[in-house]
Amino acid sequence: MTNPAIEISEKRPSAIMLQLGGVYAIWLREVKRAIRDRGQLIGGVSRPLLWVLIMGIGLNPYFRGEIYGEVRFVVPYTYLQFIFPAVILLNIMYTSVQSAVSTIWDREFGFLREILVSPLPRATILLGKILGGTTVALFHGSLVLALARFADITLTPLDILHGLALMFLLAFGLTSLGVVIANRVRSFEGFGVFANAVILPLYFTSSSIFPLDPSLTSAQTKVVYPEWLVMLVEINPLTYAVDALRGAFIHFYQFDPKLGPIVLMVMAAVFFLIALRDFQKA
Amino acid sequence: MTTASVPAVKIEDVTKRYGRTLALDNVSFEVPPGELFALLGPNGAGKTTLLHILCTILRPDSGWALISGVDVVKNPVEGRRNLGIVFQEPSLDDRLTLYENLNFHGLVYGVPAALRRKRIDEMLALVELADWRERLVRTLSSGMKRRLEIARALIHHSRILFLDEPTVGLDAQSRERFWQYVHRLRTERALTVIVTTHYIEEVEGCDRVCIIDHGRILAQDSPASLKSAHGQELVRLVARDETAAAEIAAAYADRLVRNDKELVLKSSGDAFTEALFARFGNRIRRLAVEEPSLESVFLSLTGRELRDQAAGARELTYEFGKRGGEHTK
Repeated sequence: MTNPAIEISEKRPSAIMLQLGGVYAIWLREVKRAIRDRGQLIGGVSRPLLWVLIMGIGLNPYFRGEIYGEVRFVVPYTYLQFIFPAVILLNIMYTSVQSAVSTIWDREFGFLREILVSPLPRATILLGKILGGTTVALFHGSLVLALARFADITLTPLDILHGLALMFLLAFGLTSLGVVIANRVRSFEGFGVFANAVILPLYFTSSSIFPLDPSLTSAQTKVVYPEWLVMLVEINPLTYAVDALRGAFIHFYQFDPKLGPIVLMVMAAVFFLIALRDFQKA
Repeated sequence: MTTASVPAVKIEDVTKRYGRTLALDNVSFEVPPGELFALLGPNGAGKTTLLHILCTILRPDSGWALISGVDVVKNPVEGRRNLGIVFQEPSLDDRLTLYENLNFHGLVYGVPAALRRKRIDEMLALVELADWRERLVRTLSSGMKRRLEIARALIHHSRILFLDEPTVGLDAQSRERFWQYVHRLRTERALTVIVTTHYIEEVEGCDRVCIIDHGRILAQDSPASLKSAHGQELVRLVARDETAAAEIAAAYADRLVRNDKELVLKSSGDAFTEALFARFGNRIRRLAVEEPSLESVFLSLTGRELRDQAAGARELTYEFGKRGGEHTK
């Protein structure tokens, strides 16, 4: 038996290394847990298959409308191309929000204590956790890119880099949102229900599965769609996230190209700060 | 770093309320470095609350808590650095392997990589879990999990170890083994250990015992001094029938400590026992004379017996489940 009392002199690492080590430890744990959870991976693969191969291909021929007597594509893309960036959003959204379940898990099964009594500030703990969820979500989002061929989209490396940067911001914001929800809903069942109640409405009103026709003036749009729906779409921050992703992958914008990244950054910052405030109280 | 004059742990006038219940009422004590200090009391006495304040999970309503001279209320991060904690409920990630759990802990506490690997091996060997290193924690028995938790608490070379009801839910053999490790560690490094428990027999080996009930400290001293100061030779007896019980109770009303299934009387020595026999000898079914013990110290301080309060491990687990886990509000 070795005698541990001998090694009394222990160099304490610098404050920054300690923080980085802590973030890495928590990040690694989140990623490992996600990799070991087969169910999550199956969901991440099956969801895009369903939306792109079945929903997308099925609705592809109907993505045309008659406007003032003229039959044409509503936007100059096929439905598959149009919906493809939105499926990335959907996949990221599910995985991000779900990753926050680990917050509830930690609280229920006591691991949270182990983290809370460690010499890490709460902000570091939260950052590690959210980066872990972000990484997994980013991976699930990237899985969709493999289906680009079916959607008739050609991606340049630059497009992919641009897209990944946006996806990272999106995943970070949504994982933070998940943690905010998990801090309020403290049971697994409640979280599942609540998460779905947040995800699907946000998704459907983000102009992800139908466009607000940009060739129409706002007055005309309101004739085609009811006013409340237009309003919902316009106030939904994910509308601009989808728009940014479309810009990256199919070079089509409904709004000002600068708007998307700005909304994504604001979303990430705001949700992270709310999550941090909650976490410091807990 | 720590000089002998700075107590490892110091609690001063700590008060904590949960709504209307007073969990801790002006509690103060000091633990010098290297001591094995026990907090003894029934469930709900405030032991765990006290430990949670020390490891900064809870904030006290008033008072100070210092660890190696660092105020943990003002400076929680610094205070936590020197602590190793084994909580009452398991706090391992059971979907990670043993190694991963320990490595996580080492990383979070900033133990450099080479030292981390060395310590993990050392600690796993110490608690005899080296063969299980790559197994998922969920496959371990509860005794093994406890041992792993001690190993984990020592990965960062903590100088103060908190053990919160560490042996609840363990069988007698695992319990004994657990204490062997604790004693061995104490001799190998200058480790201050604070343990909460409601098992009297575990307290006998401690340097000092603090008896706590309803959030107040009733007494604190070495087990021997406690016994001589508050201990009492007791006579436990079961009368043949209820009338006999009532008569004995009436005859020794001033000496009566307990009167339900059995009668417990304060004894003043063999003469008392002989007198009791002379008078009621033929109406007693069973009688036992008890030497002064910590059990009797607790009884004479609180008027209750500790084991009346001590819920079994199974009940504790049920209760924990009913509450939906500790943090569910």
